[in-house]
Amino acid sequence: MAVLELNQVTKSFGEGHKKVEAMKETEFKAEKGELIAVIGPSGSGKSTFLTVAGGLQTPTSGEVIINNQNITKLAEKKRSNIRLQEIGFILQSSNLVPFLTVDNQMRLLDKVKKGNMTKEELEQLYNDLGIYDLKQKYPSDLSGGERQRVAIAKSLYSNPSILLADEPTASLDSDRAYEVMELLQTETKNKNTTTIVVTHDTRLIDYCDKVFKMTDGVLALQ
Amino acid sequence: MFLAWNEIKKNKLRFVLITGVLMLVSYLVFFLSGLANGLESLNREAVDKWDATGIVLTEESDKSMPQSSMTIEDADAIDANEIAVIGQLNAVATSAENKANVAIFGIEEDSFIMPEVTEGESFSNENEVIASDTLLEEGFKLGDELELSSTDEVLKIVGFTESARFNAAPVLYGDLSTFQRVKFGEAAGENENQINAAVIRTDDLSKVTIDDNFELIETETFIENLPGYTEQSLTLTFMIYFLFVISSVIVAIFLYVLTVQKISMFGVMKAQGISNRYLANSVVAQTFILAAIGVVVGFGLTLLTGAFLPAAVPVAFDLVTMMIYGLVLIAVAIVGAVFSVWTIVKIDPLKAIGG
Repeated sequence: MAVLELNQVTKSFGEGHKKVEAMKETEFKAEKGELIAVIGPSGSGKSTFLTVAGGLQTPTSGEVIINNQNITKLAEKKRSNIRLQEIGFILQSSNLVPFLTVDNQMRLLDKVKKGNMTKEELEQLYNDLGIYDLKQKYPSDLSGGERQRVAIAKSLYSNPSILLADEPTASLDSDRAYEVMELLQTETKNKNTTTIVVTHDTRLIDYCDKVFKMTDGVLALQ
Repeated sequence: MFLAWNEIKKNKLRFVLITGVLMLVSYLVFFLSGLANGLESLNREAVDKWDATGIVLTEESDKSMPQSSMTIEDADAIDANEIAVIGQLNAVATSAENKANVAIFGIEEDSFIMPEVTEGESFSNENEVIASDTLLEEGFKLGDELELSSTDEVLKIVGFTESARFNAAPVLYGDLSTFQRVKFGEAAGENENQINAAVIRTDDLSKVTIDDNFELIETETFIENLPGYTEQSLTLTFMIYFLFVISSVIVAIFLYVLTVQKISMFGVMKAQGISNRYLANSVVAQTFILAAIGVVVGFGLTLLTGAFLPAAVPVAFDLVTMMIYGLVLIAVAIVGAVFSVWTIVKIDPLKAIGG
């Protein structure tokens, strides 16, 4: 059963001769337990794909279905709740709250939703990401790579059924990047979730079950 | 609360500044309310002491006691549960180097407006008076002989009573005959029935019948018509209300600037699916914390200042009024936060994450 499904989805911006088709008609399906990579040069529409799939913006036409629920026509309030319950985002820009310590970033999620990781799972996750000692630090005290790993921990902490990652390894060195990919792979398999990684780093595709390529708004399975 | 409090902890300086401004505003509000209250009692405490329902004055006096003139018979004709006659005039009293503006009340010793003597004894002989204890603070003593500005009569202070000021002047209570001697001099005998007003205590003021030449007004109306009373209290009340508006605007500006700085952070949180309601609650909770701290500190500072003020400053703190004003300050601060809540609701998560 598909966890995430895009049917005949298009997304365009502007009107008339200024109209830009960021996503041409796209069919996409992701099953449970799959780690999927979407690669392509910048400006190819990868990020648009990710935000449409994650319910951050509505498609121009077609429908987006998450866990059997068509979210295309839902009001922002309901989509917001689906993002909270079902989706984890790892964003290019840091998604950390500047005035919360690493530990409190996780506690914030406890305040707004249930079903997050247990304390033991979280400690294990900290260890896996090598950020255990940073628990009491503020984002401003962390390096770019550390921040990225905390952001990964934050998105995994909420046990999302779909994890959408935009260049998750961008600010990491190669070794760390491979470790993160291994971690995402393990999490995806163990928890039977779906992870979609948008990247232009082709070295990462070895970890993925399926690889899609985005070229000028057209998504194609490799 | 979680977000609100953690942010305050992390950014102490900026929140101390906001709280400081709120503290100063609330300090000013509390102080002005104390001043308003003090000035009011300066004018009205002697009247409050009567614990009367209403007062009968002549129609032509335009609610002013010194301008009203009637006889004891007129007062006796009023049909009310309790009636107390009063004669009043203002004078300057001098004893050695002490000088004071006073209001002289001529009353009957057995009437309900007779004050309670807190020091010394009641008047029993001619020209003996009970004085307001504010005269005590000004240097007058028991046994002082008071020369008056308008007459050769000399009054003697035989007792003191608390809270007895009328229209900012300390009151001297004496027998009706003492008042008449002061007012009419040698003609006192012919005017022994002359009084200024009749004070009434009754269950239902509307049932009291009076002659057409007279006017029956409620005690509160009488107080409001004391010279300068309404003008003073309206001015101060206006200042206090204006401060409410100012503090609301200050909070609105501060929070708005802070919120605008955090737009991308709010956007990221919204992208994660954290609801507008949660973020809005957080901003409101934060405002509440800041305003509550500011108001409580301002409250404490006001009381502290009050304790060290010289007696000449007419401040009197009414804790109930202060608490109400404190709550209003917190409420208007939260109204100021609504502006920021609106900004947060409008943030597009997509733009915030640069997608």
